[in-house]
Amino acid sequence: MFSIYTGIYAMALEEINLIWLEGLDCAGCTISIKQASNPTLIDIVTGAIPGLGGLKLVFNPTLMFEWGEDASKVLVDAMEGKYDPFVLILEGAIPDEARAKPGVYCAIGEYNHKLLLLDEVVDGLSKKCAAAVAIGTCASYGGIPSGKPNPTGARGLLDYLGKKWKGGLGLPVICVPGCPPRPDNIVQVLGHAVLAARGLAPLPELDEHHRPTYLYGDTAHENCSICGFFSGGVAGHGFGERGCLGLVGCKGLITHCNASATWMDGYGGCTETGSPCIGCADPNFPDPPTSPFFGDAPPIAYLKDFSRGLRTQVKLAIAAAKRRKI
Amino acid sequence: MMKEGKAIQEITIEPVTRIEGHLGVHVKVDTNTRKITDAYAYSPMFRGFEIILVGREPSEAVMITQRVCGVCPVPHALASVIAVDQVYGASPPPMGIVLRNLVHGAEQLYDAEVGVINLEGPDYSEVAIKKFNPDWWKEAQKTKASGSDVHGFGTIAEIMTALNPLAGELYLRSLLVQKAGHNMAAIFGAKHPHVQTFVPGGVAKANLSPSDIESYLTLLMRHVAFTKELVTATDDLLDFVLEQGYEDVGAREANLGSAGAYDDPEAYSAEYGEMTDWGRKRMLSPGVILDGKLVTTDLVEFNVGVREHIGSSWYSSEWKQEIETDPLGNKIALEHPWNKRTIPKPGELGKFDSAYSWCTSPRWRHWKGDGEDHNIELGPLARMWVTTKAKLVPESTGKSLKFELPAAVIPGFKYAEKMEFEWKIPEKPNTVERIRARAYYHAYSASCVLKMVMKSLELLKAGKVAVWTPYKKPREGIGFGATEAMRGACLHWCVMKKGVIHNYQFHAPTTWNASPRDPEGNPGPYEEALLQTPITEAGKPEEWKGVDVVRVIRSFDPCVGCAVAVHMGKRIVKHELLPFAVPL
Repeated sequence: MFSIYTGIYAMALEEINLIWLEGLDCAGCTISIKQASNPTLIDIVTGAIPGLGGLKLVFNPTLMFEWGEDASKVLVDAMEGKYDPFVLILEGAIPDEARAKPGVYCAIGEYNHKLLLLDEVVDGLSKKCAAAVAIGTCASYGGIPSGKPNPTGARGLLDYLGKKWKGGLGLPVICVPGCPPRPDNIVQVLGHAVLAARGLAPLPELDEHHRPTYLYGDTAHENCSICGFFSGGVAGHGFGERGCLGLVGCKGLITHCNASATWMDGYGGCTETGSPCIGCADPNFPDPPTSPFFGDAPPIAYLKDFSRGLRTQVKLAIAAAKRRKI
Repeated sequence: MMKEGKAIQEITIEPVTRIEGHLGVHVKVDTNTRKITDAYAYSPMFRGFEIILVGREPSEAVMITQRVCGVCPVPHALASVIAVDQVYGASPPPMGIVLRNLVHGAEQLYDAEVGVINLEGPDYSEVAIKKFNPDWWKEAQKTKASGSDVHGFGTIAEIMTALNPLAGELYLRSLLVQKAGHNMAAIFGAKHPHVQTFVPGGVAKANLSPSDIESYLTLLMRHVAFTKELVTATDDLLDFVLEQGYEDVGAREANLGSAGAYDDPEAYSAEYGEMTDWGRKRMLSPGVILDGKLVTTDLVEFNVGVREHIGSSWYSSEWKQEIETDPLGNKIALEHPWNKRTIPKPGELGKFDSAYSWCTSPRWRHWKGDGEDHNIELGPLARMWVTTKAKLVPESTGKSLKFELPAAVIPGFKYAEKMEFEWKIPEKPNTVERIRARAYYHAYSASCVLKMVMKSLELLKAGKVAVWTPYKKPREGIGFGATEAMRGACLHWCVMKKGVIHNYQFHAPTTWNASPRDPEGNPGPYEEALLQTPITEAGKPEEWKGVDVVRVIRSFDPCVGCAVAVHMGKRIVKHELLPFAVPL
């Protein structure tokens, strides 16, 4: 197993190939990344940022110039190790093709008159890739296609490869959930992975659902621009009202996400705009407890947060009684 | 590969990647007459949204169905929320409708630019023309562009160069302007793609203020400035392409449909029975054109006429008649989506004589007329055509749509003056006219959205700031929602029983356009447009890449680039260009 801290491997990373597959997806993540600002996708692809140069997008069904046999050949060659080192990026969920017989649920190419099915390609590439990144809730945990009753047996990459799976760099599957994830989250995770692979930045710390903690460590509630209404006890009882959105179904308390305060460039943001969080970045989305979307979040989440708030208030009151040092 | 003694060549372009799934096209070409003699379009990807929706609250359908497509989510959210408004009986206040329109318009603006410049444009770029139609290139270098005072390009060749993927000036600038569209949608939609704020009875936007509207308007003016260049350059380019003998490529009869869009904030209601009236007050008119004649502008008649056939699709047809009539008493057929169910039955690829697609075959029955099923095309060409013919909006002259966009002095844009636009009904639907209509639709959308911004200020001033009407959920309900997406109409049907979804069916634009053969053997719009299409591609037949085929398909605006493996008989040739769809 290579370690990123061995200089030998880092040197071999002057050029890193990116292979971006689309499974049971809607391309919403691709549309999302197109809006990124910090950095922009163009900054990354053109190598405008020191440390992030040398990236080559060798496969992406929506961006690449070649297709068909030429494009499929990239996948076949990559499975044989001819594109090492490469990062596998998945958008969309992976269906259970056994259920589709005699048909198919998701073919992504064709080579030598043989269809390339998504699951076979993921199997092959996961044996060779330096790292694997799941972009969006579908690719991470199954998302919408895996909603009950999950007609195609769809799964995310984490479940498909397993929590113990590790890529060439020694990292497990990295998940960037959200439907879609914030544009900057996508570029920043990809950029960070590359910097880490080159030994220029620390390895991303991942939580139990394999999300980078620097982006997904806090809940949408903790990041919420109007969560002062919650602590102040101002509740909205309908849409369009000023106040905490908890009573109209906000799942911000249970969803780890940073889209509540802003979407991109200072515009939007879910709760900031006035819409309750529907938990689209949660591993359970779109099933309970994120659903029903306008139903209450689990009471236990409220109780926990309330008691945390209460404890903090008491601590603050005690602290206020002490003399200030400045 | 050409077989000995036979002049028929089979070409498979597969998969033609798209957003709603992956798309493949199989055509046969007669190399003597250089015409396409047979064509099949099919979709080999399935997710099962309609199955996932059963048993959920109807309001969840608004959030879930838009996730079928990350390129055009808002029209799905909108069609869905209209259907659910009806199911719940929740009519939004005027400001709610204005905000829905503003989010919808923002998406249409970005999406039209993607289509014309980044998706279809590269097929006519310098790189493509030099390779596939080298004669055109020589001609293009000599041909002056008549709108150069607006767009700044001296010759047609310069416009072609500006369309080069990831390098051309128009291509790259279009990407920057598109970002403004996403930002505009996020102001009232919270995020894009997949907006968060569309709820039954209105919009979940809190703290609406004039500064939100100012932000929106600032970004909108960039589209207003850009559309002047976009329309003029597209017009010049397409006139040139037509002169090269392109009028029959992708041509079909004028059988067209539109659901209409951009609702009148004062007229819209959740009443199915009032849909005829508010449908006619939309800024884009609903209607059906058969054989060039407008046969209806009634959304209720449109709904009742919808049939969804599955004979050529991988589904079972074992469902029962549950809905007998619509709320007005019109008879609802067994094949109508209020009755139709989604029961997957996977089958083998390539069986073109039986089932060959995950896509179904929607048709429109002219039930008040000849009683026949008609294969109608949806998209910007259809909606501009219907809006013109219907004469329900002041911009319609009966033969054209005439409107004006104001001056906009913005650094980085070439034409600051106000400008008049006139889109004229063409002789017939074909590849060129579909793209032209998309460009003009961009300009028309900008003018509709500008009016809507003014309306929002008027409502703010009058203190009519409510964005949502509280409702009490009934136990049972039925609804039909329809609006226009970039590439056609989004149609949604919801039946609620015991407070949850009993049956939910929806059609993406592509469900109609990419549909396979119906039970009578009639082809879908893609297939029909390909039939008899002449091949202009240079070189020997055995070296053809199928660029004309791809141009036809792209003119319908499949969300992402097609072009893929091109099979020549048994030989697969590499396909070098065509691709790139959704840009960076």
